[in-house]
Amino acid sequence: MNQRVRVTSPQTRLALRRRSDATRRLSRLAGHTPVDRSAIDLDDAERALRRQRRLAARTAIALLLALAALLTAAVFTPGRLGWAVLFFAPYPILLALAAIHVRRAEKIEAEYCEDD
Amino acid sequence: MLGLAAISLVLAASVVIGVWGVRAARSTPDFLVASRSIVPGWNALAIAGEYVSAASVLGLAGLLVKNGVGAMWYAVGFTAGYVLVAALAAGPMRRSGAYTVPDFAEYRLGSPRIRRMCGLVVLVIMLLYLLPQFKAAGVVLELVSGIPYWIGVVGAGLVVSSAIAVGGMRSATYVQAFHYLVKLAFIAGPAVFLIALASPERRDAALNPSPHTDWSRPLLDLDGSGHPLLATISVLVATTLGAMGLPHVVMRFHTVAGARAARRVAVSVIVLLSLFYLWPVVYGLLGRVTTPTLEETDVVPLLVPGAIVPGSVGAVLTALVAAGAFAAFLSTSSGLLLALAGGLSHDLFGGSLSRLRLGVVVGTALAVALSLPASDVDINVLVGWAFAVAASTFCPLLTLGIWWRGLTATGATAGLLVGACTSTGAALASVVLDLEPGVVSVLLAQPALWTVPLAFVTMIAASRPGSVPNWASEAVLRLHVPGRYSTGDTGAIPRARRTPPDKRVDATDETG
Repeated sequence: MNQRVRVTSPQTRLALRRRSDATRRLSRLAGHTPVDRSAIDLDDAERALRRQRRLAARTAIALLLALAALLTAAVFTPGRLGWAVLFFAPYPILLALAAIHVRRAEKIEAEYCEDD
Repeated sequence: MLGLAAISLVLAASVVIGVWGVRAARSTPDFLVASRSIVPGWNALAIAGEYVSAASVLGLAGLLVKNGVGAMWYAVGFTAGYVLVAALAAGPMRRSGAYTVPDFAEYRLGSPRIRRMCGLVVLVIMLLYLLPQFKAAGVVLELVSGIPYWIGVVGAGLVVSSAIAVGGMRSATYVQAFHYLVKLAFIAGPAVFLIALASPERRDAALNPSPHTDWSRPLLDLDGSGHPLLATISVLVATTLGAMGLPHVVMRFHTVAGARAARRVAVSVIVLLSLFYLWPVVYGLLGRVTTPTLEETDVVPLLVPGAIVPGSVGAVLTALVAAGAFAAFLSTSSGLLLALAGGLSHDLFGGSLSRLRLGVVVGTALAVALSLPASDVDINVLVGWAFAVAASTFCPLLTLGIWWRGLTATGATAGLLVGACTSTGAALASVVLDLEPGVVSVLLAQPALWTVPLAFVTMIAASRPGSVPNWASEAVLRLHVPGRYSTGDTGAIPRARRTPPDKRVDATDETG
C-alpha cells in the first residue's frame, strides 16, 4: 500500500522530538492521551495486542515453571551439591526465556507492519 | 589506607566521567532521561550498574554466610525479574512516552490524583532501597579506614547528592556503566585470585559444605522459622516481580530510542547480571570456611581476602573489593536519588529543574537520616522489602495497565493503596512485633507471597466494568502498535517491512 512519508534529516527529527517531549510534559494532559492523533487501525491493533498478550502470558508461565523446576532440582539434588544447581543452572535458562520472547515479539511486530 | 585510596580513585574517575558526560543538562528531559539519546549498549551497562547494588556485592555474600546457600535465590530472583521486564513491561512502557511510573499512570488512567499517589509510592520504595546503600557505604568506610559509621554515611550522602544535582541522568548513565565494569572487575578479579590462593583444604571445604545441615540446604530459612520452602517462594516472588516495578529501573528504559531497543536492553541486562552474580557466591562459600562466626556478615567480602592471604597481597585484594563495593553504592544510590528526586519534584509538586535538584538534596538528607539508626539491619533484608513493596504496587499497576483495558483509575488507586499498606505494614510489623518464628513471622517478614495477589485482585475487582472510556482503550492499543503511530517510539519499524526499494526512505530508520 502506498503511503506518504515525511522525510527529514536525523537532526531535524531529534530537534522535533525534543520539542514535542517538552510540550507534552508541560501541558499536563489530565484525561487525555498524550499521543499524536494519527489514526490507528483499531482492528489491526486489537489483533496485535491479543497476540502479544498471549505471548507475554506464555513467557510468564514458562518462567514460573522454570523456577519451580529449579527449586525442585535444588532441593532434591543429592549430597552436598545443591548450591551448584543454583550456581550454574538458572542463568542460561533465564536468558533463553527472555531471548525467545523478544524474538517472537519482534516477529509479531514485523507481521503487523507487513499487512499494514 | 589502601582501601581508602582505591575508593578515592573510583570516586575521582567517576567525577571525571560525570563531568565529561554532563554536556549541560538544561531541561527536564535532559535531566531525567538524557533526552532519550542513550545508546542501547551503554544503557544495558548502566542498568546493570545501577541494579547490582550493595545488596548484591556485600549483602548476598553476607547472607550466604549467615543463612546458608539458599541466599542464592536472591540472585536468581533479581535476574529472573528481567525476563518479566522484557516480556511484560519494557516495550510497551517505552511506547507510552512517559518518563516515570507516575507519568505512565497518568497517561494510561488520565488522573492527576493517581500520579501523585504513584509519586508517594516511589518515595517509599526508593527510601527503603536507599537505606541499605548508605548503610553499606558506612560499613565499608568504617572497615577500611576506621572512619566512624555516621561520618562515612554523611560523607557518602554529600558526594552522591552533589554529583547528581549537577549532572543529572546523562552523566549518571556513563558513570553507572563505568561502575558496572568496576564492580565486575573488582569483585571477580580478587575472587579468582582467592580461589587460586586458598589452600586446597579450604577450597575443598568451601566447595563441599557439610551435607544435611540447614546451612547447605538450598532453601532460604529466616531465623529458623521452620518453613524454608514458604520463605524461599515468597522471596522469589518479591524479587522477581519487584524488579519489574522498581521505578528507577523502569525510568531507564525511557532513555533508549524505541520499544524494540528497550526490550533488547532487558535481555542484555540478563547477560550482564548472570556474569556478575557468580562472584558474590564465591565470597560467601569462602567466607563460610574462613569467617564463620561473624556478627556483622555484610562485610564478609572485605574480610575473606585478609583471612586467605594475610599480608600485603591480602590488603591489596581487600582494597579492590572495597572499591568495588563503594562503586556499587555510588551507582545504585545515584540512580535511586534520581528517581526519588523525580518522584518528589516532577510527580508530587510538578517542577522545574531547580526543584528537581532540591529534590535530590532532600532525598539524600532523608535517606542519610534514616540509615543512621539502621546500622544493624541486614542489607538484603532492607532491599528485600523495597522489592516486596514494588512487587505489590507497581508490578500490578504496570502489568494490568499495559495488558488489560479494563483497569480504571479507581481500581488502580484501590490496588495501590492495598498493596502499599499491606507490604510496608507487614515489613514494619515484623520489625516491631517480636513474633514466635513460624508461618506468621515468615509471611510478615516476606510478605510478597500474599500482598502481590491481593493487590492484583483489588485492582481487578475495584475497576468497574463498562466504565472504560474510548481513549483509555486506545491508549492501551497504542502501547502495542509498532512504528510511527505510537507515542515516543521513534523508529524501530522492523526490518521485515516490505517497502519497495524506490520508496524506502530515511524517515523510518532505526536511529533517531
